[in-house]
Amino acid sequence: MDALLLGIVLVLYLTSAASFVAYLGAGREPRRSLGPMLLAAGAALHGLEIAERSFMVGHIAVASFDEGLSFLAFSLVILYLLIDRRHVLTVLGAVIVPLAALLVAISALVSSGTTALPPALRSAWLPVHVTLAFLGNAVFALAFATSLVYLFEDGRLKSKRPALRRRLFPSLEKLDDLNHRLLAWGFPLLTLGIVTGAIWAHLAWGEFWSWEARQTWSLVTWSLYALLLHGRSVGWRGRRAATLTIVGFAVLVMSFVSVNLFFPGRHAGSFGS
Amino acid sequence: MTVRRKLWLIGVSHHSAPVELRERLAFEDEAAGAASRKLLALPGLEECALVSTCNRVELVACADPAKIDARAVGDLLAGERGVPAAELRSYLYVHEDCSAVQHLFRVASSLDSMVVGEPQILGQLKSSYDAAVEAGTAGTILHRMFHKSFSVAKRVRSETGIGGRNVSVSSVAVDLAAQIFESLGEKTALVIGAGKMAELTARHFRSRGIGGLIFANRTFDRAVELARELHGTTVPFDDLARYLPLADVVIGSTAANEVLLTADAVGEALRERSYRPTFLIDLGVPRNFDPRINDLRNVYLYDIDDLRGVIGENRGERQREALRAEEIVRSEVDSFWRWFQNLDVIPTIVGLRGKADGICRRELERTLGSLRQLGDEERKSIEAMAQAIVNKILHEPISRLKRIDDARAQDVQVARRLFGLDDDE
Repeated sequence: MDALLLGIVLVLYLTSAASFVAYLGAGREPRRSLGPMLLAAGAALHGLEIAERSFMVGHIAVASFDEGLSFLAFSLVILYLLIDRRHVLTVLGAVIVPLAALLVAISALVSSGTTALPPALRSAWLPVHVTLAFLGNAVFALAFATSLVYLFEDGRLKSKRPALRRRLFPSLEKLDDLNHRLLAWGFPLLTLGIVTGAIWAHLAWGEFWSWEARQTWSLVTWSLYALLLHGRSVGWRGRRAATLTIVGFAVLVMSFVSVNLFFPGRHAGSFGS
Repeated sequence: MTVRRKLWLIGVSHHSAPVELRERLAFEDEAAGAASRKLLALPGLEECALVSTCNRVELVACADPAKIDARAVGDLLAGERGVPAAELRSYLYVHEDCSAVQHLFRVASSLDSMVVGEPQILGQLKSSYDAAVEAGTAGTILHRMFHKSFSVAKRVRSETGIGGRNVSVSSVAVDLAAQIFESLGEKTALVIGAGKMAELTARHFRSRGIGGLIFANRTFDRAVELARELHGTTVPFDDLARYLPLADVVIGSTAANEVLLTADAVGEALRERSYRPTFLIDLGVPRNFDPRINDLRNVYLYDIDDLRGVIGENRGERQREALRAEEIVRSEVDSFWRWFQNLDVIPTIVGLRGKADGICRRELERTLGSLRQLGDEERKSIEAMAQAIVNKILHEPISRLKRIDDARAQDVQVARRLFGLDDDE
């Protein structure tokens, strides 16, 4: 049942991704709405799938690695849909939607079934911590996508082969502004994610901070983004901001993947001690 | 009875005639209306409209093919404008039927324009058509043909990117600026130089809503003049460096032999404006700006060759889109042509009936004339039989003609040919 639903979600995301990319390639007006529509349908089912899982285990379903990926993809898609409603950013969709599809695909591949948390760890802090953390990650993923597009357009302009299609490629200024705003949203989310995590850890294990790998990595990520936000105010805009956003996101992904795969700890789904 | 009309287009364009002839031949809308009325008095012309732009003078007409005389039409056009008839004759081309429709549709869609995809032609065509309507020289067929050409042009414009890319230096420069800046409204352009290119480019930026224009020129008066005209301000030429940090767009268009802006100067300004993107357009030959400026972060430098490169790309894109436009035109010509041929259905049926009835009447008269001994009763039977034979024979072809659909429109012409309906008697 779960697998079937997730399969349908994946198919919807993939067709939506194909539509976004095809639209970008053809550059014609008519069927621009197809991609977002498929994506919205996929997101609705995806939400349903996560709700169903959560209902079965009795808490928000983000305990295992695959559930985490799936939830991240979901947050990403929802965020993109929200932003796209106001800005019509097809080119971002062409980066974000395939990324979401990839996350769902990996999630489906490594799926280990539902993981129920021991009752001691079930608290109101779990959904708060996890939602904040994942929303933060999703916002950074979007910022990463805007930065990729920024570097692409910047490179084309510099090399005198500009992508002169305003409807498809937003101006550099708009991308940079979006990047700034996303960072300004992502950073507090990340901060709150870390703080609520610490509080939850204190309630569950009696200690705020245990220097496990995931926590250390988040501190590194946090410092990077803090540096970038500060840097923006002293002229780190445009290409430099985009490059640093990409580096920040790379660190984020590395920490997410490596911690889950190589460093067993509370964040890797083994909540034993 | 001859109903067969021909669509007909005769004229000169930038493809066939030099500008020197075209400008002498050009008609104002009013003069075009008057000329159309004179043309309509020529034998064979049933409807006509004169299209006149700086790139073409063409007469679109619906005519009786038996009576039309292309030479007389050409001579009248030449006479109207005082161009020697013999001179015009050597440049004239004539398109008939399908080819005339196709030509008009291509003109409307800007496929026949000097700059393929330019948008003005549609408006010019509309006003030529209006002039013909006003002069009362356009009828059912030309109404339909012109209106169809307008809708084809709209289809081409919305379904292809034929007019999507700019192909002039100044408009491409503004396009590039729009790719860097979200809105030009809060941006300032510094224009160095006050020559023709500088003015043209500044004008383009002004028309696309640039927030501020600053002019700097060695001859200060000229800068003041330009600034007044384009609602800008002026700064002293020797003080450029001071104003550089204010400028989001810098346009260099002087004939100076030395470099006006070095990479160091721009780098300095960039720090002062905390690396907000800067777009430099170097229209000078030799170049006004140091090419190394392009290596600076968030700075984009385009010289005249770079802009020409973009224009070349855009031209290529227009050419590719033009191919798709040709497809659209072809299919629209087909559908118009079917409509036009179907116009002949009713007259063909009437003609067929008339011809058969005539034969029947003549043969009856001849036969009955030699059979005087017959009584009224017998006469009536023979007349009825002859009429019945005619009806039975005609029944099938006529009902088929009535049911004719678009795909078999050429059957009408076949019927006309088989029964000799277009032959002069």
